[in-house]
Amino acid sequence: MIHPEAAGLHLALRPPYRPQALKVSPRHAGAAALAVLGALGVVTYVVKLVTAWGDRAAWAYPTVALMFVLSTATAAPLVAYASRMAKGYWALPVRRIAALYAVPSLLSFVLLIPIMAALPPLEGRSNLWFGFSGGAPFLTDALALSILLLTGLALLWFSAVPDVAGPPSRVRAMPPLRRWLHLNWAGTQKQWKLLRAANLTLGAFYLMGYVYVHMLLSTDLGQSLLPGWRSGIFPAYNALTGIQAGIATILITLALVRKFSPEAGRFIGDEQASALGKILLATVLMWFYFFWSDFLLMWYARLPGEVAAMQTTVAITYVLPFLLALFLMLLIPFVLLIFNRVRQSLTLVAGVSVFIVAGLVFDRIRFYVAPMANPEPFGHVMHELPAPYWPNALDVLFLVGMIGLMFAVYLYAAARVPILNGWEMRQGSMLRKERTFMRARVLVLGKPD
Amino acid sequence: MAKHTAPKRELLALYAEPDQAADAVARLREAGFDDTDVEILSSTPYPEGAFGEGHTKHRLFAFPFAGAACGLAVGTAWVVGAQVSLPIITGGKPVVAVPAVIQILYEGTLLGAVLFTVLGVLFESRLPDGVGLYDDRIAEGYIGVSIMAREHRLPDAQIALEEAEPLDLLSKEGSLMQAPGAA
Repeated sequence: MIHPEAAGLHLALRPPYRPQALKVSPRHAGAAALAVLGALGVVTYVVKLVTAWGDRAAWAYPTVALMFVLSTATAAPLVAYASRMAKGYWALPVRRIAALYAVPSLLSFVLLIPIMAALPPLEGRSNLWFGFSGGAPFLTDALALSILLLTGLALLWFSAVPDVAGPPSRVRAMPPLRRWLHLNWAGTQKQWKLLRAANLTLGAFYLMGYVYVHMLLSTDLGQSLLPGWRSGIFPAYNALTGIQAGIATILITLALVRKFSPEAGRFIGDEQASALGKILLATVLMWFYFFWSDFLLMWYARLPGEVAAMQTTVAITYVLPFLLALFLMLLIPFVLLIFNRVRQSLTLVAGVSVFIVAGLVFDRIRFYVAPMANPEPFGHVMHELPAPYWPNALDVLFLVGMIGLMFAVYLYAAARVPILNGWEMRQGSMLRKERTFMRARVLVLGKPD
Repeated sequence: MAKHTAPKRELLALYAEPDQAADAVARLREAGFDDTDVEILSSTPYPEGAFGEGHTKHRLFAFPFAGAACGLAVGTAWVVGAQVSLPIITGGKPVVAVPAVIQILYEGTLLGAVLFTVLGVLFESRLPDGVGLYDDRIAEGYIGVSIMAREHRLPDAQIALEEAEPLDLLSKEGSLMQAPGAA
């Protein structure tokens, strides 16, 4: 049996346990490295803006960065919602760590604007919009992403209020607007109930928005720029692999928090690894399911346009990124995660997660570089395969810098907002007890609502 | 008649243990106070009904529905307006064909629902909140039981709260509990 961390079962209610934000020293090598990478991301972004505005091919690798952020940071808060919905108490120390990824998700909007500005007109190429003249795809995609980001931030904000509001004398001394933003927090039964309802409702909207944004962007930045590529499964694949990478990102973060923050790390252990490891294994298997469903249809249909798209993203043009993605996101994780010992150890499952996150970069390269760099996006079929578009030095620096910036922004947020959801953990401590059953120690859960 | 129109005053009792707070709520009910006049305050969320309190109501769930309806209406206006203002027949389909515009309607509906939910949370947290008295010891883990009672019922409320052995009992004027050893 996997035992929960003892600290999480015996939290003080009087005085109540209050989690702290991460204490980050700028002298720490990891924090300094992230700061440097973050600065690199900002500089390369500005350089791209100045030198390559409107040049679609130059924004091919930034599109990879955009889809990476959407598939890791933006997917991560789903774990907080799903565990609340399913009443998974194992995730109590995970929820804030996951929800905080709503902050670096904002980078996706910064990336989206110049990328959308570089897209060619819709006329003459396959698209989702059927001649809709009301601002598609720029306005529609930007609006969809804004809804998702707004929902993620609202989820983080509301769930953090009881932990950041402080004593009521402080809340009542605030100016009216600030006090309102702190939800006029006093801890009444109505407020607690409202908070739970808001978390569940907004969480459901976040899931709806996440799937929708992946559908739009995987089509507008992928399929519609590669004539002949028509797949109804690809958007679902894109969303699912995003969830896979989002879980992997959380596992890596959990391992780092446990290692570098003794205060928060005492609540994180193999219970979280075991639960998330099982879901991660399921998503690894679904990687293959969605890939194979897509591949098999095109293989048997033999439509020239679809075959050319498959040759571009899988078999010929981007075969190297495909093989790297195949090994890093499917084969290596599958072989490792089938062992209980790996799944149930946070250190080991975080190590597997590093493979998955690295594989995601190559997966997004094979899908989004070819369409963005395709000089002939019009028509219904490709007459010849596009030449591979390999990254130049600026592209590599951009990609590395943006990924670094994403984690740097996360670290910045985690240093300002308590890294754990104190109120949910205190409630969980009341409702979870270890008891002796015959000669075994078992976990007894109370699930009141 | 004047008794029923007299303004209500608030008492707040602080308890060290949840069972004492639950006892206070039961005694207030026995004394004839309405559930709507009783409020529990705590620094940790307890399951609904843990103190024997009445069902707490909020209207948050109405907001997403209202927002979704508004968003759908705006989305419909946006998509129909755009298509009608530039009518292009695509593939022989009607100018406004539902399958072609469904994603705009979805987006508008979702936007409305999210915005109204956020506004709903803020609206439900609006000032004033109905709780006048507060004590920072609640943030330290003590549980507060607040009662709004008319002037002539205040002694009954005070007796009910004191029978549950509070740590302190507060009114607007200050503590009503005598310090140990005081005359």
